[in-house]
Amino acid sequence: MEMVSTVQNTDVKQSLQKVNERLLEKNPAESLLFDVVLIATDSQQQSSRIISSTSHYGLEVGRFCFSSREDLVETLVVNNVQLFLSTDRDEALQVSQKGVLSALLGRQEAPSESLRVMLCGDAIVRPDCDPVPASRGAAQSFSARLGEMRGRFGVSGSPLSIVLVTSSGGSKSCGVALQTLRSRGLSVDEAYCLAGAPRGPILSLLRPHFLLGDGVIDLED
Amino acid sequence: MVKMSLDPVQVKELNVSPSPNGDSRASWEEEEVEEEEEDRLGIATKTKPVSVTDLSSVSPSLCFRLAARMSRTQKLSLPDSRFPFQEASDRGSSELFTTSLFKVWCLRCPPVAHQWGGASDKVTGRRARKVEGGVFFPKPENAVTVAVSSRVLFRTELEQRVFEQKGVEEYLRYQIEHENEPFAPGPAFPFVKALETVNARLRELYPQSEELFDIVLVTYNHAHVGIRLINTINHHNLFIERFCMTGGSSPIGYLKAWQTNLYLSADADKVREALAEGIAAATMFMTEKLTEVSESQLRVAFDGDAVLFSDESERIFKAHGLDKFFQHEQDNEDTLLDHGPLKGFLEALGKLQKKFYAKGQRLDCPIRTYLVTARSAASSGIRALKTLRAWGLEIDEALFLAGAPKGPMLEKIRPHIYFDDQMFHVEGAAEMGTVAAHVPYGVAQKHNQPQKPGARK
Repeated sequence: MEMVSTVQNTDVKQSLQKVNERLLEKNPAESLLFDVVLIATDSQQQSSRIISSTSHYGLEVGRFCFSSREDLVETLVVNNVQLFLSTDRDEALQVSQKGVLSALLGRQEAPSESLRVMLCGDAIVRPDCDPVPASRGAAQSFSARLGEMRGRFGVSGSPLSIVLVTSSGGSKSCGVALQTLRSRGLSVDEAYCLAGAPRGPILSLLRPHFLLGDGVIDLED
Repeated sequence: MVKMSLDPVQVKELNVSPSPNGDSRASWEEEEVEEEEEDRLGIATKTKPVSVTDLSSVSPSLCFRLAARMSRTQKLSLPDSRFPFQEASDRGSSELFTTSLFKVWCLRCPPVAHQWGGASDKVTGRRARKVEGGVFFPKPENAVTVAVSSRVLFRTELEQRVFEQKGVEEYLRYQIEHENEPFAPGPAFPFVKALETVNARLRELYPQSEELFDIVLVTYNHAHVGIRLINTINHHNLFIERFCMTGGSSPIGYLKAWQTNLYLSADADKVREALAEGIAAATMFMTEKLTEVSESQLRVAFDGDAVLFSDESERIFKAHGLDKFFQHEQDNEDTLLDHGPLKGFLEALGKLQKKFYAKGQRLDCPIRTYLVTARSAASSGIRALKTLRAWGLEIDEALFLAGAPKGPMLEKIRPHIYFDDQMFHVEGAAEMGTVAAHVPYGVAQKHNQPQKPGARK
C-alpha cells in the first residue's frame, strides 16, 4: 500500500513508520505495509536537499519522485498510489477529481502516539449522491485495506487509530456509518456525532493526521 | 424562658387542586398544623409553623421580611444539627416537621394541576420521532448542554463486571454480541426524559429558538459499543443526536468543546476533573429504589452550601462549630456568598423558565427548582436568599430544614435530580428513592465517608 506526500510533514511520516514497525514486529513477513513515496512538484526544490533532509529526519521514504504539476496525476497513477497527502488544497482537489483518493494533512502541534486517521461519516451514508465523487471507489478500497491493517492490532495500544466523525446527520446516521464501515472490514476506535455543531473545536481536540471523505475536506473549519 | 411571639402571616388560602404528579399530599397543601410540644430547651410553644400558601401575596421580598422578622423576635440559639428533629420524623409525621423551630416555605409559584390532555399527549404521541417543526440541532453556545455518560443514562453493571473481570477485548466482544439488546434505563434516564419534555414545550412556544436543552452522550467507551448505544437510544425513544465516544481518552476536552452546562457521570474522578475546569458536574449512583417522578414537569433540587454557594460557611461550621457558624452568618448577612459549582446551571434553568413566563405560562411552567438546605430560615437562611436575589436568580421553592433530614422532604418533592456535596445526604436521599447526585466540591470532601465502600466504579 502506498501513500504519497509532497511536504515535509514529519509527524505523519513518523507515525506511518511506527505502524510499519509494529506490523513487522508482529509478522516479519508482513506485506501490508505503508510505502511512502515523496513527490516534489516544485521545480525550485532541489532534489539533493530533499533527499538529505529526509535522511536527516530519519524518515524512511520508499521512493522519491520529481514531477511537474501537470503530470502529477499521471505520476500518481503510474506509481499505483492509493492515497495522496498534501497541504495544498488546490493540488489535492485536482488529484481527487481525477479519481485518486487524496486528503489534506492536518497541522500537528505535538507528536502523537498513533497515526490518527479520520473518516467523514457523511460521505459513507450518502451512497447515491449525484454526481458520485470520482474518488469514491478509491476511498472504499483504501478504507478496506486500512481496516485490515487495523485488525492486526488489539483494541488498546494500537499505533493506528480510526476516528469517525459525522457532521450533519443525527445519531441514527452515525450508527449506519459504523455498520457500513464494519461491513467493509473497518472497525472504528472513536466516534463523534456532531449533528450540526461546529466542527472546529472538536477537530482541534481530535488532531487527526488526515481526513478521508468524499472529495477534499478542510481540516481547519 | 423566652417566649416566641410569631404572628402568623395573614394570607388568603388559595385553592390549589392536587397535582396529579403522584404526590399523596404535596407540601404546599399542608394545613397549618398546630402542635404543642416541649422542645429540647424546655420551652412550651404553641406556635403554628408558618406556611405560606398564597401565590399572589408571596413575593421574594415578603419572604425576606418574614425571615427578618423571625430573626428579630427569636432570641434563642438554635440547637445543634439534626438530632432534635429525629424524634419528629420518628413520630411518623413525615409531611411536616412541626417543632418549635419554624420552617419557611417560600412559594413563589405553587404548582398547579397540569392539563394531562395537552402537552403530555404530544410527548407520548412523539413515538415516531418525527420532526414536527422547531429546532432540533441547536448550536452549543445557544443551548443548555447536558452531557451524560453511558453509565448513568443506562444500566451497564453487567457489562462493567465483564470489563473488570475479563478485560477490554472480552468486554467489547460481549457488547457486540448483545448489540441488539437495549440497556435498561439508568439513574439519569428520568432526568433526560424530563429535559425532552421541556424541549417539546419550548418548541411549541418558540419554534425558531435554539435555547433548548441539548443532551450529548459523552462516554469513554470504545466506538464498538456505539451501535448498541444507538440502538438503545432509539429503543427508548430518546432524542440524543450528539455523542462523543472517545475510545478511552479523557472526555473533559470535549465537554468544553460542547460548551457543556452540566456533566453527569458515574466516575467521581472525571467529575472532579470537570469541576476543576469550571464545568458543573456531579456523580450519579444507581439506586435500587426509585420513586415515580413527574413526566410533565422537570424538577431540580439543589443543596445550598458548596453546591449553589461556595463552601465558605461550611468551612466555618466544620472548624468552629454551629454557634460560630450562626454568628458568622448573622454578621455577614449582607455580604453575598461566593458562587458554587452549580450556580451556572441554576442560572441556565432560570433563563428557560423566563421564556415560559414571558408567554404567560408561569403557573404551568414545566421547570421547577428547589433549594433544600440545612440552613435555618430565620438566621443563616437570609444570607442565602439575599445572595440569590442579588444574583438575579429565582428559585421556586426554598426549604430551610435547620438540620432536619432531607430524605423525607425530597421524597415529597420528587425531584428528577438532587445535587448535594455531602455523601451522607446523597445516600439518605437515595434510601428514600430520590435520584441524588454528589458534587465533590469543597471542604466536606475531606469528611466524606461513603457508607457503601466502592459504591460504584
